[in-house]
Amino acid sequence: MISVKKLTKKFDDLVVLNNIDTEIEQGEVICIIGPSGSGKSTFLRCLNMLETPTSGQIIFEGNNLTDPKVDLNLHRQRMGMVFQQFNLFPHMTVLDNLTCAPIMLKKESREKAEQRGIDLLKRIGLADKAKAWPAQLSGGQKQRVAIVRALCMEPDVMLFDEPTSALDPEMVGEVLDVMKNLAKAGMTMVVVTHEMGFAREVSSRVLFLADGIIAEEGKPDQIFREPKTDRLKGFLAKVL
Amino acid sequence: MSAWIATLHQTFIETGYWRQMLLGLQNTVYITLGALCIGVVVGALLAICKFFSEGNRALRPLELFCDLYTTIIRGIPMMVLLLVFFFVIFSGTRNKLGVCILAFGLNSAAYVAEVIRSGINAVDRGQMEAGRSLGMSKIQAMYKIVMPQAIRNILPAIGNELITLVKETSVAGYVGVMDLTKMGERAKSITFDAVNPLLVVALTYLIIVLGLTRLLKMAERRLNRDKR
Ligand SMILES: Nc1ncnc2c1ncn2[C@@H]1O[C@H](COP(=O)(O)OP(=O)(O)OP(=O)(O)O)[C@@H](O)[C@H]1O
Ligand SMILES: [Mg+2]
Repeated sequence: MISVKKLTKKFDDLVVLNNIDTEIEQGEVICIIGPSGSGKSTFLRCLNMLETPTSGQIIFEGNNLTDPKVDLNLHRQRMGMVFQQFNLFPHMTVLDNLTCAPIMLKKESREKAEQRGIDLLKRIGLADKAKAWPAQLSGGQKQRVAIVRALCMEPDVMLFDEPTSALDPEMVGEVLDVMKNLAKAGMTMVVVTHEMGFAREVSSRVLFLADGIIAEEGKPDQIFREPKTDRLKGFLAKVL
Repeated sequence: MSAWIATLHQTFIETGYWRQMLLGLQNTVYITLGALCIGVVVGALLAICKFFSEGNRALRPLELFCDLYTTIIRGIPMMVLLLVFFFVIFSGTRNKLGVCILAFGLNSAAYVAEVIRSGINAVDRGQMEAGRSLGMSKIQAMYKIVMPQAIRNILPAIGNELITLVKETSVAGYVGVMDLTKMGERAKSITFDAVNPLLVVALTYLIIVLGLTRLLKMAERRLNRDKR
């Protein structure tokens, strides 16, 4: 679904991603772990071109996103993204947050968009918040709404950048539950996370990013039970 | 007290000078509102040009032009700018009021452009990114997501610019435009009443400014209704 080919990203002289190759298949749930500053966010943001790669290619469903001629906006509609800081639109109600993109970009009727929005809100238990403002929600509620907002575009893949890192501990669970359900429903997901429990339980593959490369990758059992590199062993010793 | 009222009567009513004062007030209002319109339109254009030319190599000259414009205008006192407009750019003009409005307007534009730019910059970068990640173009995200939030920062600042502008227009008399201040001065020299014309002029500015300040507060409250 997404092929990453020789992806390199530099900020001035700082090489953050160094010649990364990987394939993300339909239905995979990939967790990206690694030390702070290792380029996890940068990698994720390159996938939907929020960050322009210095060199290399991102091929999404057969389209080369790094080609300047490609219509990025069209392809981004099929890649949802969830941010650490939620980034809900504070000047819109929860429901408008969900419906504004489908109405604007897919020319959906308001009724249809609102119906889907409310259905999805029901599924995460927030139907009563449809008319609330984002500022009236707790962190966990905000992040669940942010996930639903991305889902309203009916994307083929969902990208998560540390979706629970800005939350109080008691709210982490509710957000992870929504993500688990999404994974069960077969959504292709790429998740940058510090939640090793989630990575272990839900992911189909774990990428360990360090020093600008995928230093180790594999099934969660393999990564967490039998780490091969010293780099990963050291990292796991610190976080587990 | 009654002696003072008699003086007032003498200075403004008997001479019929109240009419002149009103005319002066009218000109002050024209200059202010005209300049505000020009300032907002040109300022917005400058801000938009700057926004889209930032980090775009092909549009670098445009960005330079915008920077140059704001730097030059903001570095020159309004008074000097006005003199340049009258005696250099439009020397010998008949339409003094028009040139005056243009000068104040183009001056305001530089400040309005800065106000809009910083209003946009004050909106969290994540907002634009969230819009873009849903598939919106830069323009769509700007219009639907960033601008409505930036307006909250921009409108109050433009209100402040308006208040500054009202007071700044009092130098218009230097180039022979009959604004409120100039009329007050003339009343002073014609009636030999040195106190009351200036008092009335000062009070009029004060009342306008206080009125505008109140309007601004009300507008701000409305804008922030959903922020909570
Ligand atoms: N816009 C930028 N300009 C310059 N340097 C940047 C920029 N964004 C990121 N970096 C640098 O790139 C490196 C990787 O950053 P990145 O945010 O991808 O790390 P991360 O793995 O997500 O870290 P964290 O776990 O703290 O979120 C860091 O050294 C960071 O300082
Ligand atoms: Mg990060």
